Order: sequence, then structure tokens, then C-alpha cells
Amino acid sequence: MREAWVIGAASTRYGKLAESAREAATRVGLAALDDAGVEPRAVGHTFVANCFGLTERQGHLGPLVNQGLGIPEVPSVSVESACSSSSAALHEAYVHVAGGFADVALVVGAERLSHLDTLTATGYFAFAADSAFEARNGATFPGLYATLADAYRAAYRTTPEMFGSIAVKNHANAARNPHAHFQREISMATYLASPTVAAPLRLYDCCPFSDGAAAVVLAAREAVPRPAREPLVVRASVRSGAPTALQDRPDLLGIPSTRRAAETAFRRAHLEPRDIGFAEVHDCFTIAEVLALEDLGFFPRGTAARESLEGTTARDGRLPINPSGGLKAKGHPVSATGVGQVVEIFEQANGRATGREVPRTDYALAHNVGATGGSCSVHIFARR
Amino acid sequence: MATEGPPPVHGIADFVRGYEAEEILLAFRCPRCRSLTATWGLACSRCGARPLEEARLGPTGRIVAGTVVAVPGDELLNEAPYAYVVVALDDGGRISGWIRGVDREADIAPGTLVRFAPSYRPGVQFERIAPAGERPEPP
Repeated sequence: MREAWVIGAASTRYGKLAESAREAATRVGLAALDDAGVEPRAVGHTFVANCFGLTERQGHLGPLVNQGLGIPEVPSVSVESACSSSSAALHEAYVHVAGGFADVALVVGAERLSHLDTLTATGYFAFAADSAFEARNGATFPGLYATLADAYRAAYRTTPEMFGSIAVKNHANAARNPHAHFQREISMATYLASPTVAAPLRLYDCCPFSDGAAAVVLAAREAVPRPAREPLVVRASVRSGAPTALQDRPDLLGIPSTRRAAETAFRRAHLEPRDIGFAEVHDCFTIAEVLALEDLGFFPRGTAARESLEGTTARDGRLPINPSGGLKAKGHPVSATGVGQVVEIFEQANGRATGREVPRTDYALAHNVGATGGSCSVHIFARR
Repeated sequence: MATEGPPPVHGIADFVRGYEAEEILLAFRCPRCRSLTATWGLACSRCGARPLEEARLGPTGRIVAGTVVAVPGDELLNEAPYAYVVVALDDGGRISGWIRGVDREADIAPGTLVRFAPSYRPGVQFERIAPAGERPEPP
């Protein structure tokens, strides 16, 4: 296996895009290549994530991105793995680069959702769960995570303020991120006063529907002897899976695919959770961040919500979590989310996360979940 | 000639027809670990054994976890608020379903006893029988 580096990154602001996912994907793809100082013709393979393209009447985005970049002859793979689509694309790029099948790979994720009304978007999101055995029974995406929150609070006797502290923290981080969908802080009082979406989840427990696109360039170390930016070394790139439907999991107090992916990733990276300086984790709902922190091994089970309330995961805390603002406040343009997490890690490592810097960037982790954990990616990065 | 896969057992449409039209909850039982699943498949999601045996789930159970949905999807658009619940059935197996007319979290506390209550509405519909910690009244 060859050592693979992230050598360039780019992102749109998340929120509402005036352009199509195709245009945004192509634009950030080119921007990431420019950031890396790499010409498009040097790309050996592209991996393009997009879930909701058919709602824009456009599937098969990979070759269109390549054509827009002036490299229509380059092979592409269009990837769909629900909310973990672009981290799945990154994993496939890693396999190609580390395996010697490409020296340089471009990974792009793009999504446009703002043309859908809330009911339609809610319906499409539920299709990433088990449509026949969950959505047909009334499950919505917030409803499934609310069910996990219900199980968690019953087991560990949490308070609303514990979950609220995650929303407040991530909004505070997003307010310092020019790429974020939400760029204002919220108070605990605002959180507690927000309406219920699916009990116990309030509106401010939930990520928004966002448009956005993000891209990174992955390259073999020997292909870029003098990188233009401080590269991120990929120490582990791991995917895992679990039964999609909650009814088929014996335990609702975690996401089993996260646990498996994390165990494998730390083993391959020869690292332990305490080595990680900061992490971008999948917080589509506040309960998702709680479960992620425990499943990744950062905190014992039943303690992460309390640790958040005590400030452990704030930017100046012992383990900064989601300095970008996370899905919760930076936003969740489904297929851009996973690679967008890596953009944040790259920005932090290159001193470009102005105003939201974290103290330690030596090792960082990105965690991205598809739906309620049917699929999951964990990537661990190191400074050179 | 390539084979078409194992002989058909009940398919997804049979599950749906079961709980929406025939008042039964279809399931599969693993031939090796004996676990029950209310989700369609061709092999056990716990141990991989196959072929799965056709089974039926019992009608009563207790809520494991759930939520009161205020913002519905299109499946139950006109029913909100309603409860979405994961239920551990008394005779084994877990299934997700919904309960009509619930607008308080306290009404679906973990342990609440529920019974399969099919109607003309879609999905696996349950009704509450007794609150958590209580036994149902004798019929």
C-alpha cells in the first residue's frame, strides 16, 4: 500500500446555492485542484458523490464533472451511500491511490436540496432508512434519531440541557466559519424554546437541509514530492455497515457500524482515541454526536452528553468536536458532508480556519454516517 | 444457465399485505441462532445462516423506544401527531410501528404495553394497552 495524502481542498458555502449540483461540483473540483497546484489532466480518477440528483433531473454526475473540468476521458465513479456518500467516495479514492491504480484522484460531493419543499425532502431522507419496514410505519429521519435519543435518555437519565449544549457549541463554531449555513450563535434558552420536531428532539437538535459542494484532492506521496499545501496523511480509511432498520439491532444505545469502523481505523493507524487532537463527527442530530463520541471510543458509554455540557468538546476543551459547526450548524448538504469534514481538517492543518482554530492538529478524525448507520466511514489523518 | 437464486419465500409485498390486509405480522426465523426478524432478507442478519424459516410474530409487546412525530413524512401525512415506536414482542422479535392519536411522550414510555391493531391505514399500527410497569386489565 502506498501512502496517500490529501493535498488540496475546496468548498462552497453551505446553505442555498443558485447553481445546480453539477455546476457546484465542477466548480469546487476545479478549486480543489487549483488549491493543490495540480492540473486537471493529472487526475487519474474522479469519485463524485450525489444522492438527490434525480430530483434535479440529472443522474450520473461523475462524467459530467469530468467533462466540465476538460478531462472527459478520465474514468469516474458516481457514488451514493446516503449521508455518507462522499466519505464513501473518499474511501474508494483512497483504495485507488494507495493500491496504485491512480496517482491523483479527485473526490467531490455535491447536493442541492433547496428546490424541494420540507415534506418532499423529509420523505426522500426517510428513503435512506428502510423504506418498507420503517418509513411505511411512520418513521421520519428525525423520528428515527429521536427514537435513539429516547432509548439513550431512558438508559442514562440525561437532561435537555445536555443535548442543548451540543447545539449551542456547534452554532458557536459555525458562527466563525464562513462556509457554514448558520452563522449565528444560539443560547440555551433559544434551544429550549424551539418547537418539537420529533420528541425529544427540538428544532435546534436537527441539522438543516442544505445545498453545498466540497472537494479534496488525494495523491500518492511519490506523485507530489513538493505539495503546495501542508498535506494530510491518510492513516486509516475504513468503511463499515450494520442492519439498516433499528428493529434489527439488539442495542439502540449506539451505532454498531461506527464502533466497528472506529476499532478497525485505530488499529490500522496504530493510534488510540486519546491521540486524536480534534474530530469532525456526524451530528445530523445532537443525539448523533453523543452516540458518535461514545462509539468512536472518546468517552465511555453514557457520558458524552454530560461531557458536552461540561465543555470538554468545545474548541478550547480537551477534545474539540466539530470546530466547523458540524452538520448541525455548518449544514448538511448530504453528499457533500463527508468530504466537507475533511475540508475542515485540511483548513485547520493549513492554518486557514481563522477564528475557529483548534490547539492540536497533529491527528484528526472524520466520522460520517449513512442514515442511522447502515453505512459508516471513519478516516484518521496525520500531519506529515 | 445461471440460477435465479433460492426458491421464493414471502417477499416484501407479502409482509406489507400481511400487516395491512391480513392482520398478521410475518417474520423470518433463523435456522441456526433462532433469532426472529420482521425485516425481509434471504439470510440471518446476525449469523448469516440460511435459508430462513417463515414465521409469524405475536400481537402484543412492550415499547423499547419511540417518539412523538410532529412533522410527518408523506406516508402518514394526515395523522400527525402520532407515535413511532420500536416494540419488543412478547413472543420474540422486534418490529417498528406507529400509534395513532398520541401527542404526549409520557404515553409511550419504554415498557408501555401495546397490541397490534390493524386498520385501513398504512403500516404496522399498534394501540396502547397499559402504561409501563402495569399489567393489562383482564379481558
